[in-house]
Amino acid sequence: MRRGAGPPPSLLLSPAALVITLGLLLPMAMMFRFSLNRYSANELMTQALTLANYARFFSDPFYLGVLGKTIAVAMISTFVALVLGVPAAYFLARLSAPRLKSALILLTVIPLLMGNSVRTAGWMVLLGDRGLCNAILIFLGLTAEPVRILYTGKAVLIALVAAILPYMIISLQSVLEGIERVYEEAALTLGAHPATMFRRVLLPMLMPGIFSGSLLCFILAMNAYATPLLIGGPTFQMMAPLVYQQLTKVFDWPFASSMAFVLMAVTIISVVLSSVFVQRRYGRV
Amino acid sequence: MAVSIRALPGRTAFLASVGFAYLIILAPLIAVFWVSFFRNKIIAFPPQGYTLAWFANAWSLDDFRNGFVLSLEVGIIATLGSLLIGVPAALALARHDFRGREAISAALMSPLIVPGIVAGTAVYMFYIEIETWTDVQLAATLPGLCLAHVVLALPWTVRLVTASLIGVNRLVEEAAMTLGAGPVKTLWRVTLPMIRPAIVAGGLFSFVVSFVDLEKSLFLVGPGRMTLPIAIINYLEWSIDPTIAAVATIQILIISAALLLTDRFVRLSRVF
Repeated sequence: MRRGAGPPPSLLLSPAALVITLGLLLPMAMMFRFSLNRYSANELMTQALTLANYARFFSDPFYLGVLGKTIAVAMISTFVALVLGVPAAYFLARLSAPRLKSALILLTVIPLLMGNSVRTAGWMVLLGDRGLCNAILIFLGLTAEPVRILYTGKAVLIALVAAILPYMIISLQSVLEGIERVYEEAALTLGAHPATMFRRVLLPMLMPGIFSGSLLCFILAMNAYATPLLIGGPTFQMMAPLVYQQLTKVFDWPFASSMAFVLMAVTIISVVLSSVFVQRRYGRV
Repeated sequence: MAVSIRALPGRTAFLASVGFAYLIILAPLIAVFWVSFFRNKIIAFPPQGYTLAWFANAWSLDDFRNGFVLSLEVGIIATLGSLLIGVPAALALARHDFRGREAISAALMSPLIVPGIVAGTAVYMFYIEIETWTDVQLAATLPGLCLAHVVLALPWTVRLVTASLIGVNRLVEEAAMTLGAGPVKTLWRVTLPMIRPAIVAGGLFSFVVSFVDLEKSLFLVGPGRMTLPIAIINYLEWSIDPTIAAVATIQILIISAALLLTDRFVRLSRVF
């Protein structure tokens, strides 16, 4: 494949490899090493080779509770995003008007890359006691007093679903674009009920997209920072804000490192499990 | 096409669900945009009138003005950095076959998998450790922040440019070589112009990814030296008013403009 001289690949790659090593891989390796160290209030961190930090995390009901809540919130919001994402992705993939289609794709991708701070500000405007939702509810006469929406678990779920939904739609849409419509039409022509057609024809072919989309959404929701912090309020604890606190307020580096690794491990385990599952079931995708 | 959609049972329910999905995706962005023009200082619906005063007010606040400038600086440096090291890397990955190619490619893509909070924690401690060993301060400095952002942007540049290089017809390059152009000249006059759309899109994408980053930057900024998204978050902890909506609106406009421009070079639906 090497044709024409040009610079050798090692030279072309080394700057990028160096930056990734210094800016991510080495810090990650160091963090793992730190997670095995010991913490004391006056010396901060002392060299050790102990699993005490992980043991502390998994034996304390508070931390286990936060981890459980984080996983639960991530799973629920991923599921809701999937239920809402399938029709939207189908609509997008089967839209034949090219202009409308590219406009809708832009309206999916732009919010996806808008950043969590702006989105969070938007939800605070919508869900606050004097927010738009309450204004509409009061205007319609459904309630006399503002309903508390902001600073509840429901608000966190709504905001998280909205944040991950574009990823789900794009993942599903790209798979749906590759499924030719003749299959759907054949099933319908042969008399299948549309619901049966969806379940028996479309859904099996859509499975790879459902997996990759759900995985991506689950990881994003697991690691959400701004949404639980600002929309959930101070009592709504999820893992990412807790790691930040532990590092910058408590200064317990070993424990913060182990918490970050637990968070990372849940992510990696779900990536590995689902890719094994998808490969076994649907071959290499 | 309309056939299949029309044939679905409960077409109304289907369309309503699509509408609801886009409603919750777009509602928060539309809401801040709208509120940023409200005349009343305390947010209340419907507004008492409209004004542009909050944009001037936002600009007069140090945190927002400095945050905007810092985000712009970091975004531009991250863009240039990721292009400078990402385009050569893409050339090597797309054009050469060598041992460890898969591993290096995976390493270059790894910033996409490591969650921002985890990466931020690791990089912050790494910077502090470097400082204790060498007295070089990286945490809470511009170079430290920029290095982290180059890492953040790099996978997008590499991915876009590699994909574009694979699509390039190599016969054109061979023709140039046969006609006597050297490898450097071929690269400069033939290959790079052919992948220019991907380079431009990679650069714009790098800028966007850097500009909006919140989680990773949280650990790497210092007091009085915040990026715009962090300034927004800090303000939101205390209050929500038209001023912060105006700041958010600025970010919406910048990011939308950058992405609309990207879309002219590489279809956004193909980036993912």
